[in-house]
Amino acid sequence: MSIIEKLYHMTAIQDIVNGPGTLLMLVIGGVLLYLGIKKKYEPLLLIPIAFGLILANLPGGGMSVVPSEFIELDGHRYKNLFEIANDHGIMNFLYYSLIKTGFLPPIIFMGVGALTDFGPMLRNLRLAFFGAAAQIGIFAVLLSSIALGFTPAEAASLGIIGGADGPTAIYTTIMLAPHLLGPIAIAAYSYMALVPVIVPLVTRLLCSEKELKINMKEMDKLYPSKNKIKNLKAVKIAFPIVLGIVVSIFVPSSVPLLGMLFFGNLIKEVGVTVARLSDAATGSIMNTATIFLGLTVGATMTSEVFLNSRTIMIIVGGFIAFAISIAGGIAAVKVYNLLARKKINPLIGATGLSAVPMASRVANEIALKYDSKNHVLQYCMASNISGVIGSAVAAGVLISFLG
Amino acid sequence: MSDLGFALQLMGIGMITVFIILSLVVLLGNLIIRFVNQYLPEEVSRKVEQVANQTSDFNRKKVAAIVSAVKTVTGGKGHVTKIEKL
Repeated sequence: MSIIEKLYHMTAIQDIVNGPGTLLMLVIGGVLLYLGIKKKYEPLLLIPIAFGLILANLPGGGMSVVPSEFIELDGHRYKNLFEIANDHGIMNFLYYSLIKTGFLPPIIFMGVGALTDFGPMLRNLRLAFFGAAAQIGIFAVLLSSIALGFTPAEAASLGIIGGADGPTAIYTTIMLAPHLLGPIAIAAYSYMALVPVIVPLVTRLLCSEKELKINMKEMDKLYPSKNKIKNLKAVKIAFPIVLGIVVSIFVPSSVPLLGMLFFGNLIKEVGVTVARLSDAATGSIMNTATIFLGLTVGATMTSEVFLNSRTIMIIVGGFIAFAISIAGGIAAVKVYNLLARKKINPLIGATGLSAVPMASRVANEIALKYDSKNHVLQYCMASNISGVIGSAVAAGVLISFLG
Repeated sequence: MSDLGFALQLMGIGMITVFIILSLVVLLGNLIIRFVNQYLPEEVSRKVEQVANQTSDFNRKKVAAIVSAVKTVTGGKGHVTKIEKL
């Protein structure tokens, strides 16, 4: 009898009976895996996050991330990494060395920089302003979240979802409210995956057919640009260096993200001589970082942390932040069109958030639906890329004031 | 100050900062373009002008494409001096 009892205790059955929330978490993990694998919603991140969630919720597996109180010692000291690995397992070792230190999001930003082409933005510099307007969702949701009872640091982490930039959202949350990392990462990446649904929805609500038919190329012919670039390669090399230095002077807290973004972009633009570096940044390094980021973020989502009313508020708040950001960009274009002769298609404002390049592709498809000759992709990319810079700057401001 | 008041202040500061930084993006971008146009115009642009002046049968876009193709294929060592229709 005692052998059977020991065998029973060896299994995780009793743990599941004691905590049925675990089963629900496994179901949620399964749903996220389905969305990633079958529906292809941001699969590169959603699949590791979902599997990390499942690993964390396997009873007795010891793969869940423990709260930071577990690694605190007396006198504001913390356990070293060997002690963390020994006491709490490898997932905590990975989390506290790679995530809690804020290491992985800037590494991913380096890869994003090496994949980003600033060319469309440099050719249409004035469109960069719409990347600023589209950050309004971040601050609007910050405000409303505080009214709903979140602390300012938690509200800022929630609001940053409106920037539509996964690494920025994760970095800000690590710095300000690490206990909300799981739900915020899930919300950020889910809504980024839902850009093809959210952008058309908001655009349809706020724009008339006439506005969506504004042909940007026709406008360029009517009012040609004064500054034609005579050496795009030289401009593209100088741009990340100069901008990186200037931004670091104004918002130093955004340097970990933007500095790495500009570095990644520089090694891309230098070209053949450092091709190995940009290949590494966009290939092996970025892929490795993505795997560990996804798994460890997923492992923060235990039933105790995830199954509460705050998670629902984060999911809803994230959607509102996203929608307000898109609306903010559209509103800015509408105001501009009231004052300027050279009209701009409001879709360019809608892509001021930083879901690059998906938002631009979606906006281009909408424009083509109304006018089959109206290709707005390059123009949308201008505001889209400036949105990446804008959301990182907004994150820097929030971290400076609340961190 | 209440949390809401602080959040409003943060909203103002945040949006103004984002606008200032993106204004700097526009300003610095324009300055870099002007500097490069003035002091570092691309070799290809000048070559295109030279070749285009000598050949009346081709438009500038076609000349630019040919000059760029030769530059890429020869790793910058080859130059187009004249284009003739055979």
